[in-house]
Amino acid sequence: MSIELLVQALLNGFGLAMVYVLVALGLTLIFSILEIINFAHGEFYMLGGYVTYYVYALSGLNYFATLVLAILTVGVAGVVAERLIFHDLRGKALNAFIVSLGLLWVMQAGAQLAFGVLDKPVPSAFSGVVRVLGLVMSVERLVVTLSAIVLIVALYLFLRLSRPGRAMRAVAQDPDAAALQGVNIDAVSALGFGVGCALAGGAGGLLAPLFAVSPAMGALPVVKAFIIIIVGGMGSLPGAVLGGLLLGGVEGLGALFMGSAAVNILGFLMVIVVLLVRPRGLVGGA
Amino acid sequence: MLLELRGVSQRFGGLQAVADLSMTVAPGSIHGLIGPNGAGKSTVFNLITGVIPLTAGEILFKRERISGLRSAEICRRGIARTFQATALFREYTVLQNVLVGAHRLAAPGLGPALLWSASYRERERRARERGHALLKSLGLGAVASQVAGQLPNRDQKALALAMALATGAELVILDEPLAGLTDQEKAETTAVLRRLREQSLTVLLVEHDMKAVMGVCDTVTVLDHGVRIAEGTPREIQTNAAVIEAYLGAEEPGA
Amino acid sequence: MERRAAAPVAGVGLIALAAATLPLITRDSYYLDVATTILMNLTLTMSFRLQVSTGQINMAHISFMGIGAYASALLVTRVGLSFWATLWLGALVAALLAVPIGSVALRVSGPYYFLITFAFSEVVRLFFNNFFEGLFGGPSGLVGIPKPGRLLGLVFDGKPALYGLMAVLCLIVVVALVRLDYSRFGLTAGAIRQADLVAETLGVNVFRYKLTAFVLGSFVAGLAGVFFAHFRQVLHSSDFGLEPMVLLVVFTVIGGTGSVWGPVIGTIVMTLASELLRELHHYEILVFGAVLILTMLFAPEGLVALSGAARRRLRRLRGRAPAQAGAGLAP
Repeated sequence: MSIELLVQALLNGFGLAMVYVLVALGLTLIFSILEIINFAHGEFYMLGGYVTYYVYALSGLNYFATLVLAILTVGVAGVVAERLIFHDLRGKALNAFIVSLGLLWVMQAGAQLAFGVLDKPVPSAFSGVVRVLGLVMSVERLVVTLSAIVLIVALYLFLRLSRPGRAMRAVAQDPDAAALQGVNIDAVSALGFGVGCALAGGAGGLLAPLFAVSPAMGALPVVKAFIIIIVGGMGSLPGAVLGGLLLGGVEGLGALFMGSAAVNILGFLMVIVVLLVRPRGLVGGA
Repeated sequence: MLLELRGVSQRFGGLQAVADLSMTVAPGSIHGLIGPNGAGKSTVFNLITGVIPLTAGEILFKRERISGLRSAEICRRGIARTFQATALFREYTVLQNVLVGAHRLAAPGLGPALLWSASYRERERRARERGHALLKSLGLGAVASQVAGQLPNRDQKALALAMALATGAELVILDEPLAGLTDQEKAETTAVLRRLREQSLTVLLVEHDMKAVMGVCDTVTVLDHGVRIAEGTPREIQTNAAVIEAYLGAEEPGA
Repeated sequence: MERRAAAPVAGVGLIALAAATLPLITRDSYYLDVATTILMNLTLTMSFRLQVSTGQINMAHISFMGIGAYASALLVTRVGLSFWATLWLGALVAALLAVPIGSVALRVSGPYYFLITFAFSEVVRLFFNNFFEGLFGGPSGLVGIPKPGRLLGLVFDGKPALYGLMAVLCLIVVVALVRLDYSRFGLTAGAIRQADLVAETLGVNVFRYKLTAFVLGSFVAGLAGVFFAHFRQVLHSSDFGLEPMVLLVVFTVIGGTGSVWGPVIGTIVMTLASELLRELHHYEILVFGAVLILTMLFAPEGLVALSGAARRRLRRLRGRAPAQAGAGLAP
């Protein structure tokens, strides 16, 4: 068991985790603004994957352009979903859970009917490997990881510097105070939901070449996203990043010692430990 | 002394909400706790009723230590309270609210509830009777079937008091019982408090209405920034220099 | 005022009557199967709702069904006990395990409780799926579980007999839980759900109440699990995973969590709906999902509240005070 092997395992774990962090960030953004947990979040991820498939794999548009398109499309879909379904459910977690479940089924069955049940492979946009200090990473994975990091930073800047971003943070912190200051809660909710879904869509587009697209592809990332935000802290963006790194590391190392099915149990055990020792999550304060 | 606070401190984060507070409440009295905003009065109530933990000191009720106990256990020992933001079970009717308050005396359990035994039914019937009587004595007899969330402010405050009394507590802690009431309603409420005193209940209250406080309390403790600055009869407090200074710029304590 | 004493008796009577007449109308094994499944789901949703009434959304409820199921299956096939003993033993095992699990989970509340119970349920499912394959059957499942043996000369091989058994079990559970809901326990549970801090300062040991609901609910889930094991005769970890749990939640919430009758309406309506929709094949899930969305948007308090809402509107038209909500004590 060499150091290189361990570091390689960690790196693999981290790389993938960064994309799951995108999904988690979207979920936690929606939670902090609307106070509901969107169980259909994985379906927006799936949507991003399919947009990527149809536009990039079939039409041949540049990969990064496709990614942007996927992000925008899914973002719009999110806004539509919020306006039609979720906007009255602010704070009503149980009802929102059921509704998002319904949406999950509608979107998944819809995808099955529209796109067929079979996996659709998406060709890799990049080939080759990169070798640094005895560690190996495929160029593709590297691009995916870096793109995820770029998106995370973009989100951070958006929330910090732009007016809509700051409005979203205000609503997340104290919706009543924000309303008093003239923030349009409805518009912020719709935008927040849209941005959250857009992040998931982007993640779907990033992972499509790695894992192929299928109607059920959203299930695993959304579970990982839940684990990440519980560990990191619901409603906390730096917490999501930290949670992602932790999960990536634990699963990466775990994969060395146990089969992939058993590795999944590690994430849940982490959740239980965190909820017992520090229920608000590592960085939580929501 | 019924209730005794000895060197009680509460610190949260960097904030010292209450500092080395010592006070006593005599049985069968109406004791007022006053002070400018942010003086830590509600914090003291939360400490006594076990809602937040002490950082230092101890609280004794009937000579027994209650600091560190769960709120439910403290209630079982004989202390009940109301909250500054009137806290009711808004979906329940007025009577149902009072019946929940009777929890301590009805001594329920899973077994009796499942078996619907005769003794269980009898105890519930009596709790119901007591509940109705209590509501009538507080002027809520007519609205017993109304949903609590729809009541006007005066009735809601009366209901919160009824719930506290339903526990059969010996010490009733009231957080701003007169807030939002008209002068007429305030007079009615203070009359109720005097009646409670006649029934050998002890009342500890926080209030901002100075006139009412001085008019009904036997003893008054004054807090400022979490520290006790004076304690005595209303007359003594009204002429206390430190108290007057603390209130300068805020309200003037006075008749 | 509070709900009249007549209502629970009438409600239970109605269920008992419907359950009793079914086998008289049909011996068709398909209908009996559906009916048996409805009754089994009903015990699960009513016990789930017991916990919801104290403000807990326990996503591990189905796990205790699984614990009861596996416990009974193993006690019968490995230890040679009779089903009639393992029926209670299986439920007991579930209840005993519920004590430490519940005590741990109840240290948090709200969405964190939801998530920790979800995590527990996944741990339990993964445990049954991947560990001790010799005992639990691993990913291929546990097979060869026998039907219940004889009791007092009665044979339980056929569908009607099994239906009858489930009906009796379900009725016992319904009676017990309805009684509980109409008692001080139900009153206190609703108080805890609305404002647990206030309840605590009124002397209610909130933790003990919630744990009692948790353990009792888990006992009933274990009971249902034992029946499930010997009815289906095959166990697979996915039977106790997220999908069936989610369906339980859906049945209960669609029916309405505010009333003890909500799960009854929700389970019956939704089970029938899913059977009817099965004809649509691919569109089944799509329509099911749409139904969920529409129901939650237009009947947020569940189907059971629809009649209440209609009644309230009638009263307001007639100028009377609105009808009351929540649990109550029968006179």
